Amino acid sequence: MGIKEDVLGIICKTLDVKEEEVAPDKTLYDSLGVDSTEMVELRVAINKSLEINLEGNEITNRHSPNQIIEIVAQKK
Amino acid sequence: MKERIAITGIGVVSPAGLKKETFWANLKAGRSFVDEIKRFDASLYPSRIAGQVHELDTYSHLSSRLLKKIDVFSHMALVASNEAIKDAHLDLEKVDKERVGVFMGNALGGWLFAETELRDMYMEGREGVSPYMASAWFPAASQGQVTIYYGFKGYSKTIVADKASSALALWYAAKTIIQDKNEFALAGGMEAPITPYALLCANTRGGLSKNNLNFKKAYRPFDLYRDGFVLGEGSGMVILEREDDAIKRKSHIYGFIKGVGFSCDGVHRIRYSLNTEALEFAINECLKECEWEKEEVDYICLDGEATILGDILEAKALNSIFGDKLKEISLSAPKSMLGNLLGAQTSLDLIATLLSMQNSLVLPTINFQEKDPHCDIDCTPNYPRERKIKKALILARGRGGINVVLGVEKE
Repeated sequence: MGIKEDVLGIICKTLDVKEEEVAPDKTLYDSLGVDSTEMVELRVAINKSLEINLEGNEITNRHSPNQIIEIVAQKK
Repeated sequence: MKERIAITGIGVVSPAGLKKETFWANLKAGRSFVDEIKRFDASLYPSRIAGQVHELDTYSHLSSRLLKKIDVFSHMALVASNEAIKDAHLDLEKVDKERVGVFMGNALGGWLFAETELRDMYMEGREGVSPYMASAWFPAASQGQVTIYYGFKGYSKTIVADKASSALALWYAAKTIIQDKNEFALAGGMEAPITPYALLCANTRGGLSKNNLNFKKAYRPFDLYRDGFVLGEGSGMVILEREDDAIKRKSHIYGFIKGVGFSCDGVHRIRYSLNTEALEFAINECLKECEWEKEEVDYICLDGEATILGDILEAKALNSIFGDKLKEISLSAPKSMLGNLLGAQTSLDLIATLLSMQNSLVLPTINFQEKDPHCDIDCTPNYPRERKIKKALILARGRGGINVVLGVEKE
């Protein structure tokens, strides 16, 4: 699987949403109402699963899934 | 209080059921809902019995996304709140959410969540801790979750005052409506003490029954063979509003919060005072605020701690205030069927009292076998009694003698 599929999979699993609910270009806050605590959980899950080290505010709920995929790709 | 406040919706999550109809039918039957604790290994705890809620998931309306962020005590509060809102026919589209307050009583907080995450922290390090720990465990977490869930933004508070927590929360909620800070209030309490650590603390605190073998008969207030109270878990929530507003909305009015009295023994951090002055003061203050004569009281919902000291002091205070008139008043402790829900107890006592008023039936104190000669009261032993109840007092006593008395009337 590529990074895109990996990140989308982690988003769905962590936030407990279906893939069709995830709008690729909308911010996580606007599309799914993701709050800052959920972002901590998402960041920890991405770090653990993809063995990278995203720091505190590198990804926020004002990022879209596509933007997060880009940020993760740069870390790999 | 300057005016009485109407109760127009009730929601219950209890060992005796999660619908008001089931709750009432079970209490009326005089059954014990105390059971052995089996959800974790409690075999070495001195007291390992409790009134437990078994059907929460069946009645839950919450998403798994939300459930993983909250402790079970918030889950209970959200389910009870949902029932109360539905029961009051509150139209959430029309109500001014800036003027809906949420008031909750709780004693212990959400320990199931906290214990699990602390274990993970020591096992896996800081990355092993759920970020929701920060907002899940503390006593005000449930109030926060309910306000977020419904978007209520009115003046809100959580009260922590041991077994008197929800009594104070109900009073506080009524006060904000009288002061016109809120139009509606969602008020009550929730408690989830059946976790390894919370149960340990409750055992250390003392006052719990160790009658583990005969658990159905363990909680027996005012009985000569009592040996303490039994823990319970659950939540009770009610909708409060002005009487005029309730009439305008054509709401079903269960009853009214008419007055309150409170005091503190102020002698020890855990024990009650050996004299009953402070408790009597709270009862008298409540009668005064309600503008009731003593003989007008039909029913008293007892604190019924089932400890020697707690019961004797409660009976003594009531005899001292009401004298011979006490024989004309019905008294009982329906919590003997459910277990004592600590910070949530008065909210369930209130709901049980309102349903007693509605059905003209005094609920019993179960497991009563032999009268304690030091407790000269008739606590409606074992079987309910038919009686019209118009005016009732609900007693709540917290650790160290936090005394709260609510006055509730039907018409």
